[in-house]
Amino acid sequence: METDNQPFQQGTLTALPALALFALVPALGAQEQEAPPVDPAILIKAERVIIRPGKEISDAQVLVQGGKVLAVGKDLEAPEGAKVFESKVVCAGFIDPWSTLGLDSEFASRADTNILTRAIDGLNPYGNEVHLEAALKSGITGVGVALGGKASVKGLGALVHTSGRPDGGIDILLKDAFIGATVGNSGDAFDRIGHVERLIKYIKGGENYRIEQVEYVHELEKWRAEIIKSEAKLEKDFKKAKKAREKEIKEAEEDGKEFKEKRYKEDRPPRKPRYDAEKQVWARVAGGTLPLVVEVHRYLELRALLDGTKDFDRLRLVIAGGTEVLPLATTLTRRSIPVIVWPAPLGADRSASMRGHDLSLAGALAEKDVRVLLGSGGTAGTRDLPLLAALAVGHGLEPEKALAALTTEAARVLDMGSSLGKVRAGYRADLLLLDGDPLSSNTSIRQVIAGGKIAFDAEGGQ
Amino acid sequence: MKISSLTRLASALALTAIAFGGDSYAIKVGKIITMAGDPIENGIVLIEDGRITTVGEASEVQIPWDAEVFEAPDLVAFPGQVEACTSGGMDRTNESIDVAPFLDVVDSVDPVNFFFEEVLRAGITTLNVQQGNSTVIAGRGMIVKPSGMTVAAMMVRPQSGIKIAITPKRGKSRAVQLMILREAFAGLRRTLEGMVQDSEVGKDLARREALAQGRDFEAEEGKGRAMTGSGWVVEGLEAVPRASIDSKLLPLLDIVEGRISVYLVCSTPMDVLHGLEIARENGFLSQTVMLIGPTCWKVSDEIKAAGVRGVILPSTLEHTERAPFADEDTVTLLPTHFTEKEIPFALASLNSTTQSLWFQAARCVGLGVDREIALAAITSGPAEVIGLGNDVGTIEKGKHGNLVLFSGDPLSLQSQVRYVFIEGKMVYDRTTDTRLQHLMEGVEPEGTAADEPVVEDVHEEEREDGDK
Repeated sequence: METDNQPFQQGTLTALPALALFALVPALGAQEQEAPPVDPAILIKAERVIIRPGKEISDAQVLVQGGKVLAVGKDLEAPEGAKVFESKVVCAGFIDPWSTLGLDSEFASRADTNILTRAIDGLNPYGNEVHLEAALKSGITGVGVALGGKASVKGLGALVHTSGRPDGGIDILLKDAFIGATVGNSGDAFDRIGHVERLIKYIKGGENYRIEQVEYVHELEKWRAEIIKSEAKLEKDFKKAKKAREKEIKEAEEDGKEFKEKRYKEDRPPRKPRYDAEKQVWARVAGGTLPLVVEVHRYLELRALLDGTKDFDRLRLVIAGGTEVLPLATTLTRRSIPVIVWPAPLGADRSASMRGHDLSLAGALAEKDVRVLLGSGGTAGTRDLPLLAALAVGHGLEPEKALAALTTEAARVLDMGSSLGKVRAGYRADLLLLDGDPLSSNTSIRQVIAGGKIAFDAEGGQ
Repeated sequence: MKISSLTRLASALALTAIAFGGDSYAIKVGKIITMAGDPIENGIVLIEDGRITTVGEASEVQIPWDAEVFEAPDLVAFPGQVEACTSGGMDRTNESIDVAPFLDVVDSVDPVNFFFEEVLRAGITTLNVQQGNSTVIAGRGMIVKPSGMTVAAMMVRPQSGIKIAITPKRGKSRAVQLMILREAFAGLRRTLEGMVQDSEVGKDLARREALAQGRDFEAEEGKGRAMTGSGWVVEGLEAVPRASIDSKLLPLLDIVEGRISVYLVCSTPMDVLHGLEIARENGFLSQTVMLIGPTCWKVSDEIKAAGVRGVILPSTLEHTERAPFADEDTVTLLPTHFTEKEIPFALASLNSTTQSLWFQAARCVGLGVDREIALAAITSGPAEVIGLGNDVGTIEKGKHGNLVLFSGDPLSLQSQVRYVFIEGKMVYDRTTDTRLQHLMEGVEPEGTAADEPVVEDVHEEEREDGDK
């Protein structure tokens, strides 16, 4: 069993978080389980295969086995026993990076979280099955979730899968996908700026901690090298020292004096920096091994946040919401900061921070080359995200960019770019079989393949 | 057998004094429900030095000449019931500190607490007293018998377990609870690793010092004990004397090394899964007992697979759920479910008296649970669950002489607990239960304030004086 009590260990400060697939819930950590039966292969014959937004091949096949895409190409043969589907369009399953789907509703909105709380501890498939299934049927296979509702620091967010496991649990794709934070929604602008400043202070603390750790490791190595050298010398001189000592003992005896050992002095090892669990995680944020997703809406705070973080070169900031972020678009583009937009109609229940919200935000940002993601606003309403994406397309977002937002971009931002979001050999087989263009409101999803299994079949195949 | 309480106290004292000479008791009743085989009609239980030596039919058992004989041909003997986990009898049930395993319930148990009198009245003779559910890692609990004037006299097993709550206390979230819990064990591990590292650094320094001084260096052998445990192990801990480890951390090390039971509070299925994960990580699965909620039957397969020692059922014995879009209720009878899953379980009192263990057992039977299963769930079941299966829970040779004498069937509403014996000694007699008599018959106990006319007389005199 690995220990994740220590977010990183000495010397591996810049190591990327493990990208392995975790299946912790509910067989949490159960390692000695019998090997699951191998699922039959699936061959999809499609008129269009959207490998990634902007790259398509027509009249091709996708072969799926062992949970992954085995091959994409023309003239692929179905292996024996394979299930064959025919489809107009195949594309990768959608990812909602800003959601609370699957979290225990009782705990999801508590404000007592801190950077050490983990979203996977708040997952609860029991009672959420219906919502997870609804999201899956609408094409969402991956969800980025964070606890803490409006808490200023939400803790460790996770990327989970919507398709239920046979034992009723939730598959965890990445248990440490990002750190979530919110800039308070107080009516007082100074209060909100205070939140931003605190956030920056945390990052600064993490950065210092990281540097301390790196320096300590460095100092320790230097000290060790010195010690090894002096030890070699001591060993070489030992015989001499021994003789000298014997001589001194003898002399002391003759003089009737007490023999005193020679004093030995050496450099003390460097002091280990004091352990701080919270700073340890902030160090990962400052060091860029964990993205920091901050929900922030108003211009003032956005500007303060961007200003305050500009010196942290490794920090991977992601803006969520960003209602008034458009004037800062050039900065976002220059620093390659993605924005997760919630392109939802302005219902009566939208909070005051979203008043300035505009459905064309996603399109306008994309126009200025800002990396745009789409999410469901930290709610459990993930099911509607494809519809909202279509709405964003209707308000100026290029369809290709909308699709990228839900697939490749979302996967990249959450460090899963090399295993999720594309229909490519070696990638996880999260696939949508559609009867038309993805994100068109006239298109219906015929089948959803999740982790290589047929998770939904509108034709009732399962 | 009518002895006044004073005489009995005197004889008890006398018996304690000659305890090493061996105190011997014979209890002769109309029927013995042993919970280990068929009931015995007209049976005798012989108890020596607190333990049962013989159980059998009256005609076949020879009563030793020196035995104190108690005869009650109309009564039914039943094993003293076992409460697998309770927070009663302490001056405070909860600690305000989140992680407090260095505390000990022994300092909190109050022998004169009414609670112990009440459980005795309900025929409970063994109690596992653990802290309440509001801490994350609670103080160390202990197993007691509800009789004795000092905590030492009540003691059956000290430091019998530690309660760990996965279910957060009111107003807290589970993620925070789990974070605190993980950090507690991670902190222990960090500390131990640090100590091992320090000792190595110290040894290296000593070696170099010897080299420089021209002395032959003999490394001191580790004074400590190597760490054991099925979860994680810090290599090289033998170099660190155990006594140098912060005593506040030692109880946690006891958990990881498998020396103390863990009572894991999990009220939802997710709590159970997280609890099992943490128990597995830290190597205390096999010494874990889970206090589960009504919905936790959903993860009974995971509980079974994990191999925990057992579960303690909630007071809700029957769980009803209406699945979304379905038109039918799913009803799960917990005792039956866990019997089918072959997971050892115990019932728990709803509270101390009116809904005590026997009441829960009777409710089980009322809901359709097999009578034997219900009876076992308040005697041998909880005894196994708390690790006292060899000592209490049945009327069998070798076990503690803990007996309850009912006026009829233990599960009948009309039956009363007449006498209770713990380790052979009579510790409860309904005929001398003054509080009960006061309640049931309105008999004012002797020596209570209401009976003292002296005070009234004074007032009378004063009044009379005034009149004059």
